[in-house]
Amino acid sequence: MPLVEIRNLTKSFRKGDEVITPLDAVDLDVEAGDFLSMMGPSGTGKSTLLNLVSGIDRPNTGSITVDGVEITRLSKGRLADWRAANLGYIFQTHNLVPVLTAYENVELPTLLLSITAGERRRRVELALDAVGLRDRANHYPRQLSGGQEQRVGIARAIVAHPTVVVADEPTGSLDASTSEQIQVLLTRLNQELGITLLMVTHDPDVAAIASRRLHLDRGKIVEAAPESVTSNSRGALS
Amino acid sequence: MIRLAGRFAPYVFKTLWRHRGRTLLTVGGAAVAMFVFCFVGAVQEGLRRLTDDEDASRTLIVFQENRFCPTSSRLPQDYATTVRKLAGVADAMPVQVWTNNCRASLDIVVFNGAPPKQLRQARDLTLVDGSWGAFESRRDAALVGRSVAQRRGLSSGSQFTIGEMSVHVVGVFTSSTPAEENLIYTSLDFLQYARGNEFVGLATQIEVTLSPGADPDEVARRIDDTLAAGPVATTTRTKGAFQTSTLSDLVDLIEFAHWLGYACLTLVLALVATTTVMSVQDRIQEHAVLQTIGLRPSRIFRLVVAESMLVCTLGGLIGTMVALGTLSVGGLAIGAEGVTIAFRPSVPLAVLGVGVAMGVGVVAGVFPAMQAARTPIVTALRQAA
Repeated sequence: MPLVEIRNLTKSFRKGDEVITPLDAVDLDVEAGDFLSMMGPSGTGKSTLLNLVSGIDRPNTGSITVDGVEITRLSKGRLADWRAANLGYIFQTHNLVPVLTAYENVELPTLLLSITAGERRRRVELALDAVGLRDRANHYPRQLSGGQEQRVGIARAIVAHPTVVVADEPTGSLDASTSEQIQVLLTRLNQELGITLLMVTHDPDVAAIASRRLHLDRGKIVEAAPESVTSNSRGALS
Repeated sequence: MIRLAGRFAPYVFKTLWRHRGRTLLTVGGAAVAMFVFCFVGAVQEGLRRLTDDEDASRTLIVFQENRFCPTSSRLPQDYATTVRKLAGVADAMPVQVWTNNCRASLDIVVFNGAPPKQLRQARDLTLVDGSWGAFESRRDAALVGRSVAQRRGLSSGSQFTIGEMSVHVVGVFTSSTPAEENLIYTSLDFLQYARGNEFVGLATQIEVTLSPGADPDEVARRIDDTLAAGPVATTTRTKGAFQTSTLSDLVDLIEFAHWLGYACLTLVLALVATTTVMSVQDRIQEHAVLQTIGLRPSRIFRLVVAESMLVCTLGGLIGTMVALGTLSVGGLAIGAEGVTIAFRPSVPLAVLGVGVAMGVGVVAGVFPAMQAARTPIVTALRQAA
């Protein structure tokens, strides 16, 4: 059984007199451990699909089932609880809380879990280690570079051991060199930790690091090209 | 639930500290408004004590009919002896009153002259300085209430002169009735002679202590009927009614002042709500991120309300403490026609000040908190982007 099952998913909204349908009856299965990238022109529903899978938006019709839970049927509150336990979200613009240190930002999702303070500390330190920022734990976002901020954002996304991690243009606001570091990091998370990753990107080079590449056009998945992980991954683990 | 709230406490504190200029200005505004609120509360509490306590309902004041200012009421001193014999009367004490100002004033000085031994029995006075012996033995001796002593810088051994009145302070007292602490007591004889020969043998009023179970209205009627045959007609009322009547102009003003208290609360509400709305609007994206991470909308609501409540409570705490401190050391009072209303700090006032500030903080946070909790996550993230 796939980890993520999307069936007949449609999302439309009204803009003035026009009805826009970014997603039109989409079906998709994502297996545990997949690294899936989604490309396509602006307005084709990539981010909409990501937001729906994340449970931060609601479809008009259709269903999304993640690890046996049909999240499209959950109430607002239960959906929030589900996100706390099962979802990691990597934003394009990092979106760290400016008043909190890197450590505290990474710790945020764990505050919602029923774990001990010791376990919380251990998880945060492991997550910071995973992104190579243990020595920047006490720095505030304003004291970090763009790449470091994104790595903190990635640590925050994985710290709660989520079922699935989604990334919305994770390299979109970074320079080429920093973007490459983030690509290596995402590849490592998928290969070493077995994290299931869904990523939206405009950059074909970034999309190429994923094991599966989807292309969305006018609300439909028009291309799905599963390939082996090794042939597409850039960063080997050190 | 409480443990979870505690985990997010650093986030709330740091958020407030991030805009410390704005936070401190709001706290300052709330403090000033709550200072005024507590002052108004102290005045109203003083008036309530003066008119509603047990002493006010179980003591009668016999005054010259149709007279209001102490300077114009002149009763024969021996009326006290007549009154003392009536049924329902436990004791009657002649009191001569002299004040430096019959009109409303914040620094009114009121002398009460009474027989020293009777005064000691009738009044619940505790000397914090000096002795009763000196008061009873020295002709121009005066016992000064703590509030007057604070305002005028008096202590045992001081000589105090105001107008034609000059006394030697032999003690400072406190009382369970705060208004008493605004009085200066001398012996009746001294005050009569000090005011001039025409006051000898006269009293301004007779204070009547009722026997247990005696009906105040019935005893008052009996006193007035009995004294109607004397040279001066009288009007007898309970002390509470007498004081309310004497302070009638001030009572109206003080009752109106409670609107000022409400205005202060509205001001705090508007100030804190505005600050919280600004803070929420600045952080639309941040709240969306927190919801994406897994915070329920209800938790976002509570975090915003907690911020608003903290700011308001801190302001309320500072304003209340400063107000109570000022009331405590200032010995402030307002009086008219020889009756004074003491502004005193009290535990209920402190609890009211802080409690009201906390409540206003919660109310002020509700609208912005709803705004923060209800904004759709995707819309908020898109707007911010």
